[in-house]
Amino acid sequence: MTTSAILQAINGASLAALLFLLASGFTLSFGLMRVVNMAHGAYYLLGGYVGLTVVRITGSFWLAIFAGGAAIALLGLFIDRVLIRRTGENHLAQVLLTVGIAFVIGDLALWTWGGDNLKVPVPMFLRGAVELPGGIVYPAFRLMLIGIGLVVALLLWLLYHKTQLGAVVRAGVDDREMVAANGIHVDRLFMVVSALASFLAGMAGVVGGAFLTLYPGAEWEILVFALVVVIVGGLGSLEGAMIGALIVGLLDAYGRWLLPEFSYFVLFGPMAILMLFRPTGLFGKAH
Amino acid sequence: MSVPAIQLVGIGKRYGGLQAVESVSLTVAAGERRVLIGPNGAGKTTLFHCVTGTVRATSGSIRLFDTDVTRLDEARRTRLGMGRTFQISNVFMDLTVVENVLLALLGKDRRKWTAYRPLRMYPGLHEEAIAGLSAVGLESRANELVRLLSYGERRQLELALALATAPRVLFLDEPCAGLSPSERQLLSRLISALPRDITLLMIEHDMDVALALADRVTVLHRGKVILEGSPDEVQADPEVREVYFGHV
Amino acid sequence: MDRKLAIVLALVCVAIAALLPLVAGPFWIALLTQMFIFGLLALSVDLLLGHAGLFSLCHAAFFSVAAYTTAILQVRYGVSTALAAPAGIVAGTLLGMLFGLSVRTRGVYFILITIALGYIVWGVAYRWSSFTGGDNGVTNVPRPALAGYGLESMTSYYYFMLAVIVLSLLAYRVLVSSPFGLTLRGIKTSESRMTSVGFRPNRHLYAAFVLSAAIASFAGVLYVYYNRFVNPVSASFPISVEAVLMAIVGGSGTIVGPLLGSGIVLALRNWVSSFFELHAAVMGLVFIAVVLWAPGGLVGLLESFRNGRRPGR
Repeated sequence: MTTSAILQAINGASLAALLFLLASGFTLSFGLMRVVNMAHGAYYLLGGYVGLTVVRITGSFWLAIFAGGAAIALLGLFIDRVLIRRTGENHLAQVLLTVGIAFVIGDLALWTWGGDNLKVPVPMFLRGAVELPGGIVYPAFRLMLIGIGLVVALLLWLLYHKTQLGAVVRAGVDDREMVAANGIHVDRLFMVVSALASFLAGMAGVVGGAFLTLYPGAEWEILVFALVVVIVGGLGSLEGAMIGALIVGLLDAYGRWLLPEFSYFVLFGPMAILMLFRPTGLFGKAH
Repeated sequence: MSVPAIQLVGIGKRYGGLQAVESVSLTVAAGERRVLIGPNGAGKTTLFHCVTGTVRATSGSIRLFDTDVTRLDEARRTRLGMGRTFQISNVFMDLTVVENVLLALLGKDRRKWTAYRPLRMYPGLHEEAIAGLSAVGLESRANELVRLLSYGERRQLELALALATAPRVLFLDEPCAGLSPSERQLLSRLISALPRDITLLMIEHDMDVALALADRVTVLHRGKVILEGSPDEVQADPEVREVYFGHV
Repeated sequence: MDRKLAIVLALVCVAIAALLPLVAGPFWIALLTQMFIFGLLALSVDLLLGHAGLFSLCHAAFFSVAAYTTAILQVRYGVSTALAAPAGIVAGTLLGMLFGLSVRTRGVYFILITIALGYIVWGVAYRWSSFTGGDNGVTNVPRPALAGYGLESMTSYYYFMLAVIVLSLLAYRVLVSSPFGLTLRGIKTSESRMTSVGFRPNRHLYAAFVLSAAIASFAGVLYVYYNRFVNPVSASFPISVEAVLMAIVGGSGTIVGPLLGSGIVLALRNWVSSFFELHAAVMGLVFIAVVLWAPGGLVGLLESFRNGRRPGR
């Protein structure tokens, strides 16, 4: 029984890593730019498909990750500057606009890559299983995913807390007008954060596509999970995205294992209860 | 001795590291006209917020006549007789002028829950609203969107809203701010014409308006009360002069 | 709009609608019946959006819970329509009372929470296959009989829905012009002013939410009798989003706007999917276009042209 429990914990952690990649960008976009981007899931899916095509052409998984991220970074930047910017801080308009964009991306993806479940092929050395202490055998790819998640989390954390850029972003999350008044190029700041958030989403699509597979509708399923992470962790908080991702990942893994038909309850129940007592999430701030 | 309209004891409001209001105690008699003055940032509006319940005071107690309202929310305090206007015009911009007053009238009225009868079937309510508008001189604009009103007219509406809640104590936060001299005169006349069964607490920047209207004046500086007295006393006081016109 | 003109216009529309089955084929009858059903759903969303200022994206949940409840009771337990239909509405409304607790949040938090809540219901409909039938849903729902008269035919259900929608719009009109309706608009315009004149906004918002869930549930019951089956798609996020789109495209905050929007969206979807596979993309473009260029919806556009103003404010 304990081996299964540990197995589920690792499952949860690998999902958490994926969700963190997606949620961190979403939460920072909101924290700094007050943008709610419901197309984030579509970014994930499209990034995954782009990565898949790159693997098919070049055979390199790592190039695919980079390509997926870069493609979405460019797309995200374009959408931000040309479309989302015109909605100002009207969250309703942003939600509708970005849902519309997600519909467009989703349908175009369907037209291009078809409706079958597609899997991004991983490099040979990651295809097998690894034996962990305690006799647990676990897919190597998922372990690597946890590794990627940790590395990205660490890099983001360092960027956010230990660099000049991060300091400016943190100040901007706290008080945007103040940052602008201090002569900092708010515009350029937004571009950087927007590109980074989109890059992470696209990258997440490639790694996610390797074990969750890519299919029409996946963009909404993953988005919901990312939303719960952000709701629980608190909008605008990097730490919140980390903790939230871990909570959601573990709840999902254990929920599916223990109560498969009600796994959504196990996941959303605690979220709903948290909402009642702390609407802004664990680390969020009331705006 | 009759019960004072407002009794504040040791009111304090802290925002993180900033003590906006500190240990403010004051007593306002029923029917009195009390004016609160002080330089910008003295904590006057914050004090109002604490008393009306817009924010929760971090310390101290508040009594409205014979009721302790310290723990009550803003809606409850309004029902008990507190009315207020805001420093920055706060009226219902996207509704018509008469709808604004109707809402103020419905605030304390059970009929606000009625969902099965159109509003126009309450002629009494409508008449009351128009009467409220006449009192401030806005009845000719009744069916216009507030958005189309001038700033001065919105200030008049703001007063009408506060009066529509039938307050026993009225809190006016710089009612004449941003108005032209003629508008200022109109509004001051309306305020001074208010009956004495409404106690008045007013924040005012304009010394002339303040001193003409006030029975007593309380001076606030950096969140604390530094002087309280008759208008003449306050005007003559050297510390007040220093605070207002003092070291440059 | 001039009152007499509005009444005449309304009567003309109802007359045209009543005469429709005599001149148009089954395609149009079906389209309009759906327009009425989804128009009701859009109306439920707009009560919150256009009047209370709450942007809810979970209304498909109430719609489908009502539909599933009625369907399961009738098909699996042989319960009569007289009981199954009200039970459906009650079930959806109870869910609304639970989800309504989310009105304690505002703005973007409220939006996100309703999205997540809506997904719970979709997830349950999809995963709890032993009860809900999973992907396949519940089929063979019989058409109800009204006072002994069976509503099996397309035309009879159409007339039934026409009567329902007309009565619903009249009731909705009373609702939004009531004191309660004004209260909601007050909250939407300035919540701080509302508290300072003695209201407790959360209570009114909660009541509005529950009422709106009840209307959505009503639409759900009408839907399942029309469609004669229900599946998890009825609880899906795109349905909730479409309901909002319908309200906005038609004109949020108006009485006929949501109904008009429903007609436009359904007609558009039908028309586009007949020659173009990517109809979801087209819907997406419509969203984008409406948000960027016509946020007042169709009614807003018409008003603008009448007043000589540029649309989009």
